[in-house]
Amino acid sequence: MTDLFTVAGKELLDLRRDRLFVILISFLAVVIFISVAVGAADFRSQLEAYNRYVADLTASGTGVAPAAPQLFPLQLLRGGIEYLEIIGALFAIVLGYGTIAKEKHRGTLQLFLTRPVNRFAFAGGKVAGLSLVWLVVVVILTAVSIGAVVTIGGGTVTATDLARVAITAGFVWFYLVFWTALAVGLTSLSGRLSSALIVALVIWLAFVLVIPQIGDTMDPDNQVPGGLFAALQIQKTDELAVLAQFAGFDGIRNGLEVSSITKHFERLSFALLGIKDAYNQQPIPVVLAAMLPYAITLTAATIASVIFATAATTRRTLQRTQS
Amino acid sequence: MTEAAIRTWGLSRSYGPRNAVTELSLEVPRGEVFGLLGHNGAGKTTTVNLLTTLLEPTGGGAEIEGRSVSDDAANVRRSIGYLPENVQFYDSLTLMENLRFFGRLSGIRKPDARIADVLRFLDFPGHENQRLGTFSKGMRQRVGIAQAILHEPSVLFLDEPTSGLDPEGVRMLRETIIKLNGEFGITVFMNTHLLSEVTRTCTSIGILNHGRLVHHGSLAGTLAAFPEEQSLEEIYFQLDPAMAR
Repeated sequence: MTDLFTVAGKELLDLRRDRLFVILISFLAVVIFISVAVGAADFRSQLEAYNRYVADLTASGTGVAPAAPQLFPLQLLRGGIEYLEIIGALFAIVLGYGTIAKEKHRGTLQLFLTRPVNRFAFAGGKVAGLSLVWLVVVVILTAVSIGAVVTIGGGTVTATDLARVAITAGFVWFYLVFWTALAVGLTSLSGRLSSALIVALVIWLAFVLVIPQIGDTMDPDNQVPGGLFAALQIQKTDELAVLAQFAGFDGIRNGLEVSSITKHFERLSFALLGIKDAYNQQPIPVVLAAMLPYAITLTAATIASVIFATAATTRRTLQRTQS
Repeated sequence: MTEAAIRTWGLSRSYGPRNAVTELSLEVPRGEVFGLLGHNGAGKTTTVNLLTTLLEPTGGGAEIEGRSVSDDAANVRRSIGYLPENVQFYDSLTLMENLRFFGRLSGIRKPDARIADVLRFLDFPGHENQRLGTFSKGMRQRVGIAQAILHEPSVLFLDEPTSGLDPEGVRMLRETIIKLNGEFGITVFMNTHLLSEVTRTCTSIGILNHGRLVHHGSLAGTLAAFPEEQSLEEIYFQLDPAMAR
């Protein structure tokens, strides 16, 4: 256990001083901040359009105005979640790959393997260290997100909102650890470092970009801004009746989407933050109950990925791929 | 307890159809500085990797201080120090942080006092809080020696330790090896290309040719056995036909 802490501690120290890592995380923080600013600007323009509309109605003597657009501050985090889904996963792969590749490249792995340490110390220490690094990063990004919502978003964040953000942050952490551990395992197993990176990037491309995009494209409601059914003034009950006629098609579409860990993360975080209208302002226990399958899958996938990394990064596999 | 610090019998390692080391049998007594010579690809690094438990033998066996590298690898690792060729360490960490890391991995719970002793021994003070990214090749090699001897090993393996060093670095390394061997009785096993260094540092030598040991003996004995030859270099070329070509 001491060896595991030694490796984890070294990993933290090494990454804290890694300029590239600091630049990547700062970039992620900046894009999240910008996405909140863009979301807030979009809301303000909606509000201005509404106010102009109400002024025109008042001038024309019409008394009844539609309800004003309402700001739900956490919905401003939509862009941030999407960046974490795509860029965050990519950075997590780079981090996991880099930590093993550097050890192999600079020869320190050979030194490690000639030390009298537990066979899981290397893998355990690496994964524990990187998980701790991601925890710190997630805390920083969460603070940046809340700060952005309050300052440039102009929103008021309640205690319940903070709880929603905190739970979401926990799942963000799981998601990032999943990708990092996967990259650690693949890099350890591979004799050629470039092959490991290529395989990890192909998995990222398939499960983060391609599969979710196919699912999104197959969703008719995504074909029109604001939603197809809303644009056609179709009520929710009628929408469900129409969709019932396409149950088979929707089953395939949904099946495709849920084969991607990214979609599980997205559905879970969109529900918790109220970005998905159906869950907006719903009590947290209600949202969690509805999202339980996604929470279980994301957690299980993360645990499986960590087990894979640990099992793949044994002394035996490292010796084999090192030679 | 055996008198040999290193003993191999029929030690072999193959990669598929290619034999990197074939039936290597040798004994290196305690307190020797042994130099393993051979052309590129002769199997020197594979031999060191087998003896340092980095590789599993595909035939035969080896013992370090009477412990099998295959069956008692953990204890072998406790008794050896190792400096691979061209190791780079962690550039973002300071000298102390690097040595603390390897010291703890070697089982030293509070390594600071021992690190201070080793740095004093290596005449390497004043750089403790300097990051390794700023170190020269010669300084890094001293860090390599420091991490290898932190846990007071009885056998030290050096793989091409003079590779890339300037003449001053080579001299420093030679003096360090002689001092380690003389003051602490550490057995040293090193691969090298520099025959002049072997003559100045080693007490016994072995010559590998295509994975096979073609000569093994004390340096003095080897020089005496070839009275016609002017130097170890000439003896080496005579014993290793691959180099003569």
